[in-house]
Amino acid sequence: MTGNERRLLLRRMRTPAITFVVLLLLLCSNVVLGATLPFRGAYIVEAVITACMVLTVLLVSMEIVHEPPLIRLFSAVGFFWVTIMFGMTLVDYLSR
Amino acid sequence: MADAAGSVAEPVGLELAEQFSSKDQQREAATLGMWAWLLTELLLFAGLFLCALVLRILYPASVTLATTHLKFWIGATNTAVLICSSFTMSGAIVTSRLGFRRLMLGCMLATAGLGSIFLLLKGFEYYQDYNEHMMPFLNMPYLLEKDTSSRLFVDVYYVTTGLHGLHLITGVSILLWLTWQASQPRFLEFHQNRIEVYGLYWHFIDLIWIIVFPVLYVLNR
Repeated sequence: MTGNERRLLLRRMRTPAITFVVLLLLLCSNVVLGATLPFRGAYIVEAVITACMVLTVLLVSMEIVHEPPLIRLFSAVGFFWVTIMFGMTLVDYLSR
Repeated sequence: MADAAGSVAEPVGLELAEQFSSKDQQREAATLGMWAWLLTELLLFAGLFLCALVLRILYPASVTLATTHLKFWIGATNTAVLICSSFTMSGAIVTSRLGFRRLMLGCMLATAGLGSIFLLLKGFEYYQDYNEHMMPFLNMPYLLEKDTSSRLFVDVYYVTTGLHGLHLITGVSILLWLTWQASQPRFLEFHQNRIEVYGLYWHFIDLIWIIVFPVLYVLNR
């Protein structure tokens, strides 16, 4: 591998490496919260952290932001559909 | 193959199939097809996540009791293992785009290895559950027999993790087959797109486990 190729590879691997570190840090936060349960509403923070992890994988690892508009729309509609399902079901159970 | 300048990069491309008018159209169709399938998978898993959350709302004490018997640290380790595997899969995609075939093969094998470690840990976790009588669907005494509601959550736990494990077994098998294909000469020149499309599947398996871990192991533990 030439020096230029090595530099190119390192430059292209920067985003996956940052994503990797971010995901591990978010996981550590969730593990600490789960292991210690520091306050009553910890589950809200855990849910927010999980949502951040999911968005990181979707937008960066699965590269949705770089896909053509049709694929972006398709994936967004799919996840929106799941959000509707979760929202309607949980609103019912939580409001009883 | 190293050239005179010491470069290891190989030509990268896609063989145009006759039903497509351009390579871009072919690439987009493959990605869209994979997304269509992944979204059906998402709906399948989403139903199970919803079941687990509804059980947490309906029977909080029973679910908390059941979760204390789950192997939290194995679940956490497995999440870290899958995040590592996502990184190596991203490495395989990046190196395939650059035409570094040997590096790409190494990344693919590392991904398959990490996937296998996940499965081994999951198998060990199931074995411990079996020894602790935490498998209510088997014809043997169930540890939380007096708390019948906990059984619902434990059943959802096995269906969800079992289904995810099945996807991972399939994923590792396909990845090993793809690695063998990619080791053939001129693979990247004609089929680089396969690595990208497969990468979506692997990241999706990771994404599902990222949701499984808090929903089953962490929330209100």
